[in-house]
Amino acid sequence: MRPVDLTTAFAGITLRNPVLTCSGTYGFGEEYADYCPLEALGGITLKGITPLPRLGNSVPRLVETPAGLLNSVGLENPGLEEFLFSYLPKIRKMPTAVIANISGFSLEDYVQMASALQVDSGLAALEVNISCPNVKHGGMHFGTDPQSAEEVIAAVKTATDLPIIAKLSPNVTDIVGMARAVQRGGADALSLINTLLGMRIDIEQQRPLLANTVGGLSGPAIRPIAVRMVWQVAEAVDLPIIGMGGITTWQDAVEFILAGATAVSIGTGNFVNPQAPLEVLQGIDVYCEKHGITSVRNLVGLAHKA
Amino acid sequence: MLTDGLVVVHEGLGEEKLGLRRLVLKGPIAKTAQAGQFVAVQVQDSSIPSFDPLLRRPISLAEISPDQEEITLLYRIQGRGTEILARARCGERLSLLGPLGKGFSLPKIGELWLIAGGIGIFPLYALAQSALAQGLIVRLFWGGENQSFLKSAGLPAWQALGIPIHLSTLDGTLGDKGLVTEQVQVRLSQLFRQTKQADSSSPGQISVATCGPKKMMQAVTELCMNFSVPVQVSLEERMGCAVGACLGCVCTLIDEAGTLSHRKVCQDGPVFRGEEVVWDASC
Repeated sequence: MRPVDLTTAFAGITLRNPVLTCSGTYGFGEEYADYCPLEALGGITLKGITPLPRLGNSVPRLVETPAGLLNSVGLENPGLEEFLFSYLPKIRKMPTAVIANISGFSLEDYVQMASALQVDSGLAALEVNISCPNVKHGGMHFGTDPQSAEEVIAAVKTATDLPIIAKLSPNVTDIVGMARAVQRGGADALSLINTLLGMRIDIEQQRPLLANTVGGLSGPAIRPIAVRMVWQVAEAVDLPIIGMGGITTWQDAVEFILAGATAVSIGTGNFVNPQAPLEVLQGIDVYCEKHGITSVRNLVGLAHKA
Repeated sequence: MLTDGLVVVHEGLGEEKLGLRRLVLKGPIAKTAQAGQFVAVQVQDSSIPSFDPLLRRPISLAEISPDQEEITLLYRIQGRGTEILARARCGERLSLLGPLGKGFSLPKIGELWLIAGGIGIFPLYALAQSALAQGLIVRLFWGGENQSFLKSAGLPAWQALGIPIHLSTLDGTLGDKGLVTEQVQVRLSQLFRQTKQADSSSPGQISVATCGPKKMMQAVTELCMNFSVPVQVSLEERMGCAVGACLGCVCTLIDEAGTLSHRKVCQDGPVFRGEEVVWDASC
């Protein structure tokens, strides 16, 4: 029997397999290299960067919830200049597809970063974070208002020749409307979903547990919401989707692909099991073979056709 | 590395109501681990895999035995994660990430003072063992709630090392009544007076390693800085990935020029030089 074809391609991005890692959970690619070989991954998405360096929020930045994790890191990052100077040279040599993630506080911020990151930077694509819940105006405004979302994506699209992936916030009433807006703006693909806004309170101290009061919820707890949003957007919008939100096992990943995701991305799951991406990939392979699927591309959205 | 640890001992430590546990794990981590480093243990009832609790628990290494390929973790049950961990039985395997972080560095010569508050004593035992193996003089200052706590949390094992020990308890049931920092201050002052007479600017060749509540480590650091004694502190913070990827566990440091920066407790620490830590950072 022929081995399952795991390669995938969408929006001008070619991947050796459909398993990626999520921005903010994988540093700049080196942190997990001892635990999960980069060359085995379809690709990685880097920690979000902003034009200027940011120290981020105070600690505590993390608190656990049932099958979930709340975080409010607040976009701590070295800034664009340091990224280009210190990180990009190493990133160019990484044996996997690398997607940079950009965040901003104004249209100009996004354009400045997109202009500095082009195909010849050695990147595979640019993920535009219009959905960070943890900083004031941290893109969240762009991520919850369709017209702003369209404008920011259109501006970024003009500024770079890299494929544009719009990372959408689930903190909206109409995810399909947001997906349509960024499609009009010229997005080449979608990342679905970012974290859900949540909070926890220390009942003894009678205070919020996170220094930032609220944070973004990730992990298995949010998976059904993510699957639902991938499903809804796949029904309505003709753009490739990178599915994410609580994927920790291969079964989770297959669910996203069946819902319409062309690729999947693992975030918080890496913290639980640093080899989760490898196990997910292997599981997808075995699943396809068992179900007589010759290419993982043929699995995408299959649940819609049943 | 991501590896398994075989549970060879898992037992209560001292009085049961204190919820202290001793867990000895066999595996390759012992070969390379150093005092002050930690492991991230997956806390799951292995018979029923679940994602609640989700995250691994960072636990410091209390003893490292490379020849037996064993590490000892001492911990206190204080939440759902450690409650589930406490159910692990001998013969089970626990998923471990480690050894993680940057541990203590040993001075080449002289006297190493270990200053512990409460269960902050745990990682200092491995440090005491390696310091003694290198021929350093080791002295312990340890403060706890009361006699029962100190005895339960490993005092007999410390006494077996044959080193000078200065104890403090809040209720005065063992050692001096009061805070551990009071004893440290008295002794440093004495030494400082002696060496001053000998025309030296600092008590010779003493260095300090401390672990305990944040306020206590801050006080120890201030004391040490007053007496020009180098101090290493082992910080604690809520961790996500434990490998430096998620930026969940940062601390704030200040350099000589007064510039503030963040470091990851999991990767750049948990051990830092006391004087570089900003204890009341608001960013």
